[in-house]
Amino acid sequence: MVEIRGVSKSFQKTVKDNTTEVKALTDVNLSVRANEFVSIIGPSGCGKTTLLKIIDGLIPCDSGQISINGKQVTTPGPDRAVVFQTFALLPWRTVLANVEFSLELRQLPKEERARTARDYLKRVGLADFENHYPHELSGGMQQRAGLARALAVNPMILLMDEPFGAVDAQTRQLLQEELLDLWQRERKTVIFITHSMDEAVYLSDRVVVMTPRPGQVAEVLDVPLARPRVADEVRRDPKFVELTNYIWHSLKKAMENHH
Amino acid sequence: MNSRFGTNVISILSLAVLWEVTGRIMDSTLIPPLSRIGAAWWKLLASGKLAANLTLSLTTLAAGFFLAVAIGIVIGLLMGRFRAVEHFLDLYVNVLMSAPTTAFVPVLIMWFGLGVESRIAVVFLFAVFVIIINTMTGVKQVDSVLVEMARSFGAKEKEIFFKIILPAAMPAIMAGVRLGMGRAVKGMVTAEMLLTLTGIGAMIMQYGSSFATDSLFAVILTILIIAMITMRAVQWLDRRLTGWKAEIAIE
Repeated sequence: MVEIRGVSKSFQKTVKDNTTEVKALTDVNLSVRANEFVSIIGPSGCGKTTLLKIIDGLIPCDSGQISINGKQVTTPGPDRAVVFQTFALLPWRTVLANVEFSLELRQLPKEERARTARDYLKRVGLADFENHYPHELSGGMQQRAGLARALAVNPMILLMDEPFGAVDAQTRQLLQEELLDLWQRERKTVIFITHSMDEAVYLSDRVVVMTPRPGQVAEVLDVPLARPRVADEVRRDPKFVELTNYIWHSLKKAMENHH
Repeated sequence: MNSRFGTNVISILSLAVLWEVTGRIMDSTLIPPLSRIGAAWWKLLASGKLAANLTLSLTTLAAGFFLAVAIGIVIGLLMGRFRAVEHFLDLYVNVLMSAPTTAFVPVLIMWFGLGVESRIAVVFLFAVFVIIINTMTGVKQVDSVLVEMARSFGAKEKEIFFKIILPAAMPAIMAGVRLGMGRAVKGMVTAEMLLTLTGIGAMIMQYGSSFATDSLFAVILTILIIAMITMRAVQWLDRRLTGWKAEIAIE
């Protein structure tokens, strides 16, 4: 469904008068199936976020192409929605108005907007907080609002850029469980960027390991864990432990090969 | 809020008492006791002279200030949003921002004559640059993630501008308007004293040169009260428009 073919991307980096070209991604290839949960893991600066932005159509790639159901991606579209690492909520809007933002842009009538937004706030457990402003909520709750905003436009593909990277460890586990729960019900295709091996294995059908810059796919691993997954049982499963270990070695190998 | 209001009242009352007592002890025309200033103020008010001059001054102030707000915000938004416009204008804006605006008064007289247009131009010049610079800075400081978010949900340039840039920059814009208001009042009095003796400024010059200190202080107090009222009005507007920011700042 999502086909990533030979995607490369470089940036111009200017320090004083020296402009150098930094290669962020070279020849990235990956296919993501419909309703699949795929995590992309890699060292900092390997171009994971760049890749996600290219898939969303926010930035163009230099070569290669991305297609969704056979259609080439050039701009953001209604079939995709992003959940941002820093939540990207509008501080002057209430939680409800923040979720409505994505619906406003789709020109939905006012009443339908409010109804849809409330429905999704309920699904992420924020029904009682619709009139709160983002700064009145904890990080975890803010990201729930970010998730509701993305889900409210009913995208086929959810692009998540280290969505739980900015919340504390306990909240993070809670959000992971809730996300799996939602995903089981909503059946979306999810592309999930993360630093955490544990998170990648717990959530995903497949884990994509990337090399350091310039980012490339080092390995694609199947996660052989049955669903629905119960967090503490899964984490004790020998297959879970084995796979996270394997990913750790794979990451290490990819990093060593680059130095 | 209430205790602060109370403290303000006590502060003003004690200053008033101190002034009255000092005035009476010194028994000099240089520091007239507050009661005499009050009487002079009442006389000016009753004769209609104060109201007439005040109307003249405030009309100039309003015209110049609103021009400065309208034009300053538009230019600031353009400079903040478009690199080319910024690079084209920032030199002049920065120079004029810190240059003594009073120096341009002779030029303005040549251009606009001695009428109300010149005074409005002075008020405008006093206020506009600080509004431009604050607006521009506000626009440039908008979190790029918010713009990216809007774009990713399909926002077009116009929607990005009105739904993201403008509300996000509003606290900085209002800070510029607040500073501009203070400068506009200065511009008004400067224009009336230096340019053509009209309005409040004319009264100050007249009473100052004839040592009518009680009337002079009455006019000065009136200016202070006007400055306070206009400041409060802008603060009120600021809170209405950017209450969300104030709440964040308190935390």
